[in-house]
Amino acid sequence: MIGKTGLIATALAVTLAAAALPRASWSGVSASGRLSIEATLEPDHVAPGEEATLTVRIRSAGLNLPDVDVRPLRNVEVQRAGTAQNFSMVQARVERTSTTVYRLIPRTEGLVSIPSLRISVGRDHAESAPLTLTVSRAAASRGAPPRPVRGAGTGPSGTPEVFVKATVDHPRVYWNQQLVLSLRLYSRVDIIGDVDWKAPGTKGFWSEGLGPPRQERVTLNGVEYAMMEIPTALFPTRTGALTIGPAQIRFRVARVIQPPDPWSMLAVPEVVPQDVALTSDPITITVDPLPPRAPSGFRGAVGDFRLALHVDGLTARAGEPVMARATIRGTGNIPTIRDPEIRALGAAREYVAGSSSRTDRSGDRLTGERETDVAFVADRPGVLVILPVRLVWFDPEARRYRSQASDSVKVQVLPGNLAESQAGRASPGPPILAAPRRASGPFGRLTLDPPDGGTAVFGFSVLAYGAAIAAGRIRARKHRDPRFLRLQSLAALLARDLARAESFASQNQPARAAALAENALRAGAGYRFDADVAGLPRGELTRILRSRGAGEGEISALESLFESLEGIAYAPPETRGADTKQALRAVRALLERYRGELAR
Amino acid sequence: MKQAWGALGPAIAIALVTVVAGPASAPNGGREPRAEVGREPRVDAAALFNAGTDALSRGDPGRSVAFLLAAQRIDPRAQDVRANLAIARARAEATQGSGERERTPQSPGIALSTGEAWWVAALLALAGALTGGLAALRRARRGLFVGGTVVLALGVLASGWLLLRAREERRHPEAVVVVPVLEVGPAPDEQPRSPYLLGAGEEVRLGRTRGGLVEIRVSGNAIGWARRSGLWRVADAARYTPPSVSR
Repeated sequence: MIGKTGLIATALAVTLAAAALPRASWSGVSASGRLSIEATLEPDHVAPGEEATLTVRIRSAGLNLPDVDVRPLRNVEVQRAGTAQNFSMVQARVERTSTTVYRLIPRTEGLVSIPSLRISVGRDHAESAPLTLTVSRAAASRGAPPRPVRGAGTGPSGTPEVFVKATVDHPRVYWNQQLVLSLRLYSRVDIIGDVDWKAPGTKGFWSEGLGPPRQERVTLNGVEYAMMEIPTALFPTRTGALTIGPAQIRFRVARVIQPPDPWSMLAVPEVVPQDVALTSDPITITVDPLPPRAPSGFRGAVGDFRLALHVDGLTARAGEPVMARATIRGTGNIPTIRDPEIRALGAAREYVAGSSSRTDRSGDRLTGERETDVAFVADRPGVLVILPVRLVWFDPEARRYRSQASDSVKVQVLPGNLAESQAGRASPGPPILAAPRRASGPFGRLTLDPPDGGTAVFGFSVLAYGAAIAAGRIRARKHRDPRFLRLQSLAALLARDLARAESFASQNQPARAAALAENALRAGAGYRFDADVAGLPRGELTRILRSRGAGEGEISALESLFESLEGIAYAPPETRGADTKQALRAVRALLERYRGELAR
Repeated sequence: MKQAWGALGPAIAIALVTVVAGPASAPNGGREPRAEVGREPRVDAAALFNAGTDALSRGDPGRSVAFLLAAQRIDPRAQDVRANLAIARARAEATQGSGERERTPQSPGIALSTGEAWWVAALLALAGALTGGLAALRRARRGLFVGGTVVLALGVLASGWLLLRAREERRHPEAVVVVPVLEVGPAPDEQPRSPYLLGAGEEVRLGRTRGGLVEIRVSGNAIGWARRSGLWRVADAARYTPPSVSR
C-alpha cells in the first residue's frame, strides 16, 4: 500500500515537475534564448504618494522588438516616463533592445502586486517575474539609515547613490553650551534644482543657523560623493535628554538609464528625473546642568569669551558726557548674553546709550560680540572713576567658571568754563570776541509778527489796488456803451462848440457864431437819434432823422432853428446880435434837452 | 488786463485776509501758549549783545547763543553780533563733541530784521498798488499796469513768506538749550526709550507743553520731551537781561 502510494506520489511529482519545467524556461528568457524580458522595481517599499520606479528591459535577437505595456494597477497611478531603444549587429547577427521606465505612485497603503509582463515574437515567449510593491507609511523612508537610492548599477555594489546623515559634534553638553548640528546630504548622482530642507524639530534648544549650505567633495569607503552640509548652532535651554527630530530633505535627481548593450554605437543613455525624499534620524542629546557654586556675577554666559572696556577720553569738562563701552567677544550664545554692569564714581548722571550684538555665522561655530554703551555726566570738576567691569562665564571645555575684570579708568573732569578749561590746552589761538557795546540801540521787537504800520500799509495797498481795478473796469465798460459815448460827445458839443459860438456872438461875429451853432445843432441831432448826418443836405437830414424815430414836431423845431441860423447872416445889422443870441439860446436849450433824453 | 485781474484777485484776497487777520488768529485754534500780541516791548539789541558776550566770556555757550540770536533778530547786519554768535556756536559744538546735529537754517539773502522785512514787503505792495491802480484808472499803457501788478505781487509773496515764518515761530518757537546737558526722553505716558542728550547751545524748536515738559522738535520732527527750565525761547531772551534794556 505504502509502496503504491509512494509510486503514485513520485509519479505525480515528476509529472508536475515536467509540467513546470517548460514554464520555468519562459521566465525572463524564451526557450530559444532569442527573446528576454526583465522587470525591476526600485524601491519596493514606499509610502502613499511616494514614487517607485519600474524598469522593464526587453531584448530580442532579430529585427522584431515586441512592446510591452503595464496594465492599470488598482490604487496606483502608472506613468510611462520614457523608452530607450538600441540596435546592434555583431557578426551578422542583429539584436534589438529596449528599456522602458514607469513611475508608480500608490495612493493607499497595502501590497501592490505587479503581474508578470509577457512578450512574444512568433513562437517565442518570455515572461518577467511578478513583483510586489509594499506601500506603508512606516516602511517609507524611515528605514535603517543611511537610506540609499539605488541606481542602475553605476556605483560600486553596496554603496548608496544618495543618502542623508545628521550628526552633532557633542552628544553630551552643558546647559547653554553650543553644539553644532550638521545635516549632510551625500550624493553620487546629479541633483537637479534646489534641495528642499525641512529643519528638524529642536524643541528645548535655542537655534542659530550658521550660514548657507556648504558644498564639497568627500570620499566615503573609497567612493567619492558630492556632499552638501547645513550646519546649525544649538544651545540647550533645558537639562536632561533632549531630542533633535528628523530632518526632511526633498530633491530631484537625474537618473541615467544605460542602454543594455554598452558596445552599441547607437547606444545613448537616457536621463530620467526622479523625485527623492529622505529623512534623517533623530538624535538624542544629554544636557547636564551647570556645576553648582557659580561665582557672584554669573549671569548665564556659557562659552569662551573676552571682555574689553573702552572710554572715549581721559579728560572731559563738567557737564560733558563721558562714554564707556564694554565689549564682550567670543564663542557662544552672544545674542542672549546680558549686558555687564558699568558703574562710575563721581558721576551726577548716567545713561545707557545703547547696546548691540553682532554675530558671525561664517565659521564652524557661532561667534560674535556684544557692545554696551553707558554715558556718565559729571556736573563738577574733579575725577570721574569708571569702576572695573567684570564678566563671569562658564567654560564648558575646561568645565569650570571663569571671570575677567577690566581696570578702573579715571577721567579728569575740568571746569565747565570753556575759557578756563581751554587755558591748559594747546590751541591754535582762540577767536577774539567782539567788544561789548557802549551805546544802546538799535531797538526792535523779537517776535516775527508784522508791525501794525506795515500791516496797515499793506492792507491799504491791496484795497487801493482792488478799488482801482474795479473802477477801471466799470469805466471801461461804460466807455464801451454807444449811448454813453453819444452822451459824452453831446456834452462836449455843448461845452466846446456851442460855447465857442456864444463867444463869437459876444465878439459881434454873428455869421461865424451861426455857422458853428448850425454845425453843433446838426451833430447834436445826429447824436440824439444815433445817425451820422454830418455834411448832409437838410432834406436828407430830415429824412434820416425821421427814419430814426424823430417826430414831426421835432423835425419842424429843427427846421425852424436851421432857418433862424441861416437867416442871421441876412438880418439887418442892428438886429443881428439879438437874433444870434436868441438862436443860440434856442440851440442850447434843444441840445440840453437831447442830453437829458440820452442820459435817461 | 482782465486775465491779470482774474489771476491776481484771489491771491490778493487771501493775502489781505491772512495779513490783516492772520497774526491775531493762532493757526492751532489757540491751544498753544503764545506771547502777547501787538504790544511787544521794543528791545535794545546792544543790551542783548552785551549779555550774550558776557555769557560767552563766562563759558556759558547756551545763554550766549540765546542772547546773540535775539540780538541778531533786531540787528542782523551787525558784524560784532555775527562774530560772537559764530564763536558761541563753535564753542557749543565743541562742548557737545561733534557738529553733527543740524542747526536752524539762517535766512538767506539780504540780512533784514523782521520789522524791516515787513516794511519792505508793505512798501513794495504799496508802490505796485499805486502804479497798477493808477494805470488801470487812467487807462494808461499796458506795460505800466503789468509792471505795477508785478511789484504788488512781489510784495504779496514777500508778505506771505514772512507770514509763514511768523506762523512757524508762533507754533514752534525757536529755543536754545541753556543747561549743560538736557535729557530729551519720552513723555511719562509713552513707551520708555533711550533719551537723547542735547548740549548747551543747541538750537531747537518747541512744540506742545505738558506740565513742566515741552516737546522738542529738530528738523521738523518731534524727538521727545524735556524740562522747560532747560530751554530759553529766543523771543523771550530779553526777559533775562537787566530791566533797563526795554523801553
